[in-house]
Amino acid sequence: MENRTAKPKTVSRRGFLKMLGGVSLTGVAASIAGCSQDPAGGKGWLPQQYQVASSWPVQVKGRIPIDPNNPSIVRDDKKCILCGQCIEACERVQTVYGYYETPIKDDITCVNCGQCTLWCPTAAITERDEIDKVVRALEDKNLHVVVQTAPATRVALGEEFGLPPGSIVEGKQVAALKKLGFDAVFDTNFTADLTIMEEGTELVRRVAGDLKGVKPLPQFTSCSPGWVKFCEYFYPDLLEHMSSCKSPQQMLGALVKTYYAKEKGIDPEKIFSVSIMPCTAKKYECNRPEMNDAGKHVGKEKLRDVDVVLTTRELARLIKMKGIDLTKLEDAQYDPLMGESTGAAVIFGATGGVMEAAVRSAYFLITKQNPPEALLNLTPVRGLQGVKEASLEIPGVGQVNVAISHGLSNARKLLDQLREDKKQGKPPRYHFIEFMSCPGGCISGGGQPRTSLPPSDQVRQARLNSIYQIDAKIYKKRLSHENQEVAMLYQKFLEKPNSHLAEELLHTEYVDRSKTLTAKKNG
Amino acid sequence: MAKGVLVDITKCVGCGSCTVACKLWNDMKFSEKEPTMGPEAKLSANNWTVVRFNEVKKENGKVWRFVKTQCLHCQDAACASACFAKALQKTKDGPVIYYPHLCVGCRYCMIACPFNVPKYEWDKTFPLVSKCQMCSTKVAKGEAPACVSVCPAGVFKYGERDEILKEAKATIARDSKYVQEVYGEKQAGGTSWLYISDVPFEQLGFNTKISSVPVSTYSHNFLKYTPVVAVSWGIILTGLYHYTKRRNEISKDSGKNVKL
Ligand code: SF4
Ligand code: SF4
Ligand code: SF4
Ligand code: SF4
Repeated sequence: MENRTAKPKTVSRRGFLKMLGGVSLTGVAASIAGCSQDPAGGKGWLPQQYQVASSWPVQVKGRIPIDPNNPSIVRDDKKCILCGQCIEACERVQTVYGYYETPIKDDITCVNCGQCTLWCPTAAITERDEIDKVVRALEDKNLHVVVQTAPATRVALGEEFGLPPGSIVEGKQVAALKKLGFDAVFDTNFTADLTIMEEGTELVRRVAGDLKGVKPLPQFTSCSPGWVKFCEYFYPDLLEHMSSCKSPQQMLGALVKTYYAKEKGIDPEKIFSVSIMPCTAKKYECNRPEMNDAGKHVGKEKLRDVDVVLTTRELARLIKMKGIDLTKLEDAQYDPLMGESTGAAVIFGATGGVMEAAVRSAYFLITKQNPPEALLNLTPVRGLQGVKEASLEIPGVGQVNVAISHGLSNARKLLDQLREDKKQGKPPRYHFIEFMSCPGGCISGGGQPRTSLPPSDQVRQARLNSIYQIDAKIYKKRLSHENQEVAMLYQKFLEKPNSHLAEELLHTEYVDRSKTLTAKKNG
Repeated sequence: MAKGVLVDITKCVGCGSCTVACKLWNDMKFSEKEPTMGPEAKLSANNWTVVRFNEVKKENGKVWRFVKTQCLHCQDAACASACFAKALQKTKDGPVIYYPHLCVGCRYCMIACPFNVPKYEWDKTFPLVSKCQMCSTKVAKGEAPACVSVCPAGVFKYGERDEILKEAKATIARDSKYVQEVYGEKQAGGTSWLYISDVPFEQLGFNTKISSVPVSTYSHNFLKYTPVVAVSWGIILTGLYHYTKRRNEISKDSGKNVKL
């Protein structure tokens, strides 16, 4: 495609005078018009691919609106071919665009999931690039730059370096980050295990009736910020079901500037906290105004728990910019204090994973015994079916019913059902529901390497397989409550799950966003 | 018969598809300095259409409204009457078309237009006037303009102007959220593009002071002076433009003011 950016030509004064002398007015008129007698414009559609000039391309469908201030995604008009794939993703897969009435209010409804970045064939839509901010922080000798990596990036980053989908590059990713100059490399898996302790405890309390009236059943998972915003927009009446736990990224952010700072004797103001996420919604999440609990805790409200989020794609670009070949690196280890993780944590990256991890530890929290083997391979909650269900027997509680959905169009099915049940005064069908915004879960998040168009289940499945392989074969532990560093964190700092300090740093509140749009009735 | 387009401002979500469609159909350049969307969006030689962002007060809060802006294709076009070279012509289909090969660069059309639509290609060596053609070649084939065809939100209605005007009136009569006026019905003697809105037009940057008398009625009177004036003005203005631009660039390059 030709370069469609205007590059104004300049004319010097002398050149201009010479030109005037040499060209008569008729000459001017003839050369401007190129002798054509056609009216201006309207010669046809560009790019010309598949087009006969001046014919109207039938594939042209228009595109989703994007707020220029969207913290997660941006679009380059020069690359957009109006193919409408972003509408397909946003309207059909995520049920966001087209699910509100016009006139709009004062918001362009978007849950920041970034699925459109994976569907856009020309990469006109991309994540908001924040590599510069990280490079600047790394170059600043006064800053202590800390980074965390989400469960799902380790099974996808390799694709950007030519490795097959699902290649496990956990150790190489750590090595690359150390080479880039990060002062400490932590694992979001650590706070995924912590999430299980907090969220599992909350679930047990809901089931036991401790939180009656305030926090009813079923409990919703809250680690997918796109899902959380979706619920805030379209189902604010159900927010009481949302677990108050922050996402693992935000938990780690809050701990870096409190627990880690304290342990290491570093001034929290000198810490710059970066996360590597498979997700564009995490960029939005870290900017939610309330995500400054570490700052509030140390009396510096301006401090953000997480300063910058880079997607897997941005990390790949940063690594390439610095001339590092990921595939050649020796595996390295996460740093201690917040680097340990279990299989239960890594499966957070897969649809059904949070549920499975929670079930493992909830079993322990209730029975004080580790779950039987069958609960370690909870196949009904795995895989790419849109809505999944399972029932388990937990001694002392009886039957526990769980459901899982991924892709927000599937979330609507469970949410509409729950709304209807509540209206009719029926008891809850489920105790616990896991929602993930992106189809397949975080392994196919909006910040992951782009694959085929639209993203294929084959690639999703390869990444999922690797996640479960890490859980079953690679990590030594498979239960969140066995994470020693998590135990130490409670011992040294937080006391116990759902303690006062844990509530302050690791839990959050939600906002009703229904005032910013007019949701369509019945979708 | 004359075609028209109805723009229902209440339906626009601000996606900008229409602005990109115009660029693609007409092979216009993109320029970062001239945004086609947002609060700064302005018509320019490269931007035949823009979607202007407005934040306005409504009831007890603020709302966002986007206004798709382009040439309104007046029924009795002032620009066409002002053009002694017949480079601008109103067609019976509706579009006011510009023929570059006839244009002498006098820019009388720019002065005449009550909506400030025609723009000048200041950056080109041999500049022309530039404005939306209402996709006249598509309209001639019985198709809607490019921007109209692409809108995913159903903002536009394309058809016989008389009929869409009737429809516009019926819509605003039916639904009290609308301002009870069709912008373009009477302005400047009536335009091919019509707008309806739920926010008063003056709050959205529309010129509501325009009289309903076609502006062309005035412009005939000074036409007799144009040939001479046009040629000299054209040359002088263009020269001055490139001269100042060049000077600015040199002073920017060397970081200080340079006398030429
Ligand atoms: S998917 Fe990409 S190219 Fe296609 S309309 Fe959307 S932004 Fe434009
Ligand atoms: S980020 Fe998600 S919600 Fe936002 S426009 Fe893209 S697909 Fe739609
Ligand atoms: S009518 Fe045609 S030329 Fe005019 S703004 Fe629309 S696409 Fe552009
Ligand atoms: S294409 Fe339609 S919805 Fe999008 S900006 Fe243009 S008029 Fe508005």
